[in-house]
Amino acid sequence: MADTVNKTLDPRVNRRGFLKGCTMAAAALGLSESMVPKMVEAATSAQRPPVIWLHFQECTGCTETMLRGAHPDLANLILDIISLDYHETVMAAAGHQAEQALHDSMEKNAGKYILVVEGGIPTAENGIYCKIAGKTAMESLEEVAANAAAIIAYGTCATFGGVQAAKPNPTGSVGVDSLVFDKPIINISGCPPNPVNFLGTVLHYLTFQRLPAVDSLKRPKFAYGRRIHDHCERRAHFDEGRFVEQFGDEYHKQGYCLYKVGCKGPETFANCPVARFNEAGVWPVSVGHGCIGCTEPKFWDTMTPFYDRLPDVTIPGSGIVDDADRIGTKVLGVTAAAVGIHAAVGIGKRLIKGKSDSEG
Amino acid sequence: MEYEKKKVWSILLRLYHWAFALSIVTLCITGFYIHDPWTNSLTEGSASFIMTWMRFVHFVAGYVFTAAVLARIFLYLFGNKQERILEHLPVTPRNIKNFFNTILRYSYIKGGHDADRLGHNVLAGLTYVLIIIAAVFQLIGGFYLLFPEVPIWEQYGVLIFGSQQSARYIHHLLMWLFMIFALIHVYLVIWNDIREPEGLVSAIFTGVKFHHKA
Repeated sequence: MADTVNKTLDPRVNRRGFLKGCTMAAAALGLSESMVPKMVEAATSAQRPPVIWLHFQECTGCTETMLRGAHPDLANLILDIISLDYHETVMAAAGHQAEQALHDSMEKNAGKYILVVEGGIPTAENGIYCKIAGKTAMESLEEVAANAAAIIAYGTCATFGGVQAAKPNPTGSVGVDSLVFDKPIINISGCPPNPVNFLGTVLHYLTFQRLPAVDSLKRPKFAYGRRIHDHCERRAHFDEGRFVEQFGDEYHKQGYCLYKVGCKGPETFANCPVARFNEAGVWPVSVGHGCIGCTEPKFWDTMTPFYDRLPDVTIPGSGIVDDADRIGTKVLGVTAAAVGIHAAVGIGKRLIKGKSDSEG
Repeated sequence: MEYEKKKVWSILLRLYHWAFALSIVTLCITGFYIHDPWTNSLTEGSASFIMTWMRFVHFVAGYVFTAAVLARIFLYLFGNKQERILEHLPVTPRNIKNFFNTILRYSYIKGGHDADRLGHNVLAGLTYVLIIIAAVFQLIGGFYLLFPEVPIWEQYGVLIFGSQQSARYIHHLLMWLFMIFALIHVYLVIWNDIREPEGLVSAIFTGVKFHHKA
């Protein structure tokens, strides 16, 4: 049996774990086995890229997933192949010491460091809703981004604003690419994202000296190139029309498709069905819960209600919020009534005035 | 009162109309199934591929719909006098007059018929132009949902709709627009045919209308 307790506590990565991590990242990137030695070489080379990791408006869940998942090798590997100069959650320094570390790293590695941003950036009222060391998130981002070689926006908050950007977005939270335009940005979205995708992006950068190919939302294609639905293990049930009608029913126990209970797999780009989580080979759909579409822009507004297919329709000024089909049926009914009244008026007029009206 | 036979609609316009109408009916039915499948196959290995079939029919009807829209746009530019877009928009004094006259007639305030027009009245024409614009968005949304990884659809889709989910939402709402339009359209065609016996209903089959002899 694996000594999981000591393994968790031991900060070193053993060779087996190291190779395993590199292989996983290569697989996630869609590279062949022959590329693994090259990635290992790049990962073991002395030139570890300096990384500054900023936390803004967020829950630290992204870092938590990376560090404390049931996959210590992966976390250690990530921390091993990068030189993490500033990270509020894991660094030992605090207060002025921490600020000094940030300042030093920025000066020493100007133009070379990778900036990782976790959390949305509030912009309302000049960004006063998130302040660290007396500076707003907007100011910190501007300052640190100015000399970064590249920026990785990690998690849905940093990429698209996330939960706090949900309507009415009181703090005006936005993602990094709404504020920084002159740097290469990679969006690794997800709530939380899979650490394999972060590792893959970093290893790609180390091995090939450039960032991976991205889609039009700046998400790396190796991880966000396909919809969940297209790689889902329950897809056959969808195609053959076998659905879970409600949670806990007979069909749910049989493992049928979760489409009718609001799975957003058909609308969501992510490699969850392939990469899976926590080395236990699970992901939401495999344990009987539909995808909630957390890797997509405006996910909180467009993916809720989570157990329906589509968001409700809000009719401005009326206070009406309802299912699109119920509103559609009502509008169609009102239209039919209007048609009936219109026809009745015409018939009534003709009865009163006589047929000559239609000619004149 | 005497009427004379006048050729109004070309064969391509009539084909467009029926391709558009029938594809919309098919798309609405299969679209509703795809949105909320009302059956459940239940038994495994029953070789029922109902969702696959519904989607297949939806996609084929989608291509027919696209072809119809392209044909209509072609006719807006190169069709006969009644089919061209300038005849449909309230941009000339004659068309603006007809636009307000039509509203008054539909409100039972005014009677009669503008004798100088063979084709649509301008209210109808304008509505059809708006419906075709909605149809263009509908088909771009449809192709974006079908081919999200093809660069051209991905780019336009993300630009116009944002995410797949937003595209799907707008796709669904526009379907309701087409259904409400169809109801009003069919009613007003019959209403006009009763008011002014120029053979409006049969015109979309035959291409011929009957016009007051001047």
